[in-house]
Amino acid sequence: MAVCTGCSLLCDDIEVSIDGRRITKTKNLCRKGFGRYRSLSSDRSVPKVDGKQVGIDAAISRAAEMLRDAKRPLLFGWSCSTLEAQRKGIELAKRTKAIIDDTSSICQGEIVEMVIRGEIPTCTLDDVRNYGDTLIFWGCDPSSSHPRHMSRFSYFPRGEKLQRGHEEDRTAFLIDIRASPTAKILSGNFVQIPPGGDADLIDAMLAVLDGKIPRVRDKKAMIAMMNTLKKADTGVIFPGLGLAYSLRGRMDRLKALVDRLNEYTKYNVIPMVGHYNMRGFNQLLFDETGFINRVSFADGIDHGPMYSVVEASKSCDLAMVVGSDPISSLPAGIAKALARVPMITLDPHRTLTTELSRVVIPTALSGIEAGGSALRMDGVRIGLDPIVKSEYPSDEEALSMILGAI
Amino acid sequence: MVSAMEIYQLTPKLNCKKCGLPTCMAFAVALLAREKQIEDCTPLLEPKYEAKLKKLREVMAPIAGATETGLIIHDERCYGCGNCVVACPVNVANDPKGSAIGLGPKSDRVILVVEDGVVKCLNPKECRRFGPNRILCNLCTATCPSKAIEFV
Amino acid sequence: MKVTVVTFRDIFQSEAQELDRFGEEYRKMSAVVFLDKNDASKAGIKDGSNVLLESDNGRVVVVARLSEDSHPGLAFMPNSPWSNRLIPAETDETKIPSFKNISATVRVTSDGVPTVEDLLREMVS
Repeated sequence: MAVCTGCSLLCDDIEVSIDGRRITKTKNLCRKGFGRYRSLSSDRSVPKVDGKQVGIDAAISRAAEMLRDAKRPLLFGWSCSTLEAQRKGIELAKRTKAIIDDTSSICQGEIVEMVIRGEIPTCTLDDVRNYGDTLIFWGCDPSSSHPRHMSRFSYFPRGEKLQRGHEEDRTAFLIDIRASPTAKILSGNFVQIPPGGDADLIDAMLAVLDGKIPRVRDKKAMIAMMNTLKKADTGVIFPGLGLAYSLRGRMDRLKALVDRLNEYTKYNVIPMVGHYNMRGFNQLLFDETGFINRVSFADGIDHGPMYSVVEASKSCDLAMVVGSDPISSLPAGIAKALARVPMITLDPHRTLTTELSRVVIPTALSGIEAGGSALRMDGVRIGLDPIVKSEYPSDEEALSMILGAI
Repeated sequence: MVSAMEIYQLTPKLNCKKCGLPTCMAFAVALLAREKQIEDCTPLLEPKYEAKLKKLREVMAPIAGATETGLIIHDERCYGCGNCVVACPVNVANDPKGSAIGLGPKSDRVILVVEDGVVKCLNPKECRRFGPNRILCNLCTATCPSKAIEFV
Repeated sequence: MKVTVVTFRDIFQSEAQELDRFGEEYRKMSAVVFLDKNDASKAGIKDGSNVLLESDNGRVVVVARLSEDSHPGLAFMPNSPWSNRLIPAETDETKIPSFKNISATVRVTSDGVPTVEDLLREMVS
């Protein structure tokens, strides 16, 4: 059995047949995961320094030189690397007195932080399968982002206490702006809200729980939904990027709702983390520094919004990007600022960021060419075993070489 | 998707019983259920019905890939999410340690599996829709986010 | 026509991104905007028209597609370097960009859809 690193579900029931380096057949991979496996042989990166192809050692030593000379380096990415590589990354950040940040800084960071700090209760996806009878998918479209979420864990499978599966034992609500593919499955329990309408919806939900009339158009449906939520045995909320962006800076609203629901019955929260090991990085950095992201090691340990990738892109004098494509995923204005900074990029593939980097260090594709371990979206540790050999080092090995060369 | 009524419009409407069925409408229904072949209607092969025959072959072409239960999988729309694999009551009954609990199938008696990112139908004869005592179960289509599975 | 742009993830786009960020398939899946049918017809936009989207932060040409579901006033775009042209570089104190709630205008254009290379060239200019 192999593990898929296509998303943070880290599906570990994957069967792969290989002939040399060629994948001939796979079982149980979704379309997205199959894409990740097929990327083994598509558009791989090559070692480069200043646009010229070089040997991997030359790229590593140039990267070490640049890091040594930098005054205010930013080390960014990390959500597509193993825990072992992330540990090396944090070590490198300390050694170079760098700012370190990951993709959670521009997506789910606020919610993941509450979960890791224990400010809102959480559980594992296996708990959801066995006991989660009432679910809220909020601002997410698992069918598209985590295709096997509903079939492996949350809605369709039989669980220990839920032998009749979704037909009788589970109720799932979907709250979203868009009538997404998931809304097609949960059409009877789809609560459509306007952009930015999440806080108002929370107010309406809390109003019903307080015995007041909610200020929504369909009062009956809202009251019925809250009655169902109150009657749950084990409830689980899955916040996605929609909720994360809409409630940014106001996550106390989500906490208020979760706390209030917990007065009736057990409600847990599992954020719909995107990249396969973002949760792992957040946990490691938290264990090390007390913060999940946006940390500077310039003078001891400091933390704050000025160390976010959004701010640090404008203020750093060197950026090392590991397994991420910020030039593609940041707002263009911020990407433009980052593009002016000398960049070192470690990635298995050619990306927009590698194209603009001074140094490109190709790496092995984790889970397929490189082993290690990672934390699933619910914090459960999953081991990764490589199934084919790579001519390039893993992130962990490349970072060790850089550390050794500084 | 073509309906029995559309197929009926393309038959000779003679109710000649040469196909073994009492009416052309019954033949249309049987054709859609794959219990009869177009060629079982011998009058349709006569030159005067050439246009109807051509049109009938055209409308039947998209469902040519259907299994004996009428299941068609549109590979290009499938997410490979496995909702159908896990929701299928036959998969659940035949594979309690695999698809029933959300994992990849561990039994070779399952109907639906996901291979190379797309769902495949392996044992159509196990489906509740197979044979004369069929039940019109629709759990695989109802749980699909992208209309990648259809019954005709 | 004024719209609120909301970005989303599409599985076919994610698949294309895994395979080749510089490929035609990824561009086809990314450089699109899904408009409400009635909105589009009022603005003279047809399925497949090239449209110019313009926000306070930038502009980009993509292909218009008409949604099956109705969503007046909303325009859905897969999250990509194309949609990121419209997202504000300025953020509030959270330093989390606003990816899912952007005021923009949309109109038919005869200009072409930029390639990834075009976007990169502009980024370093």
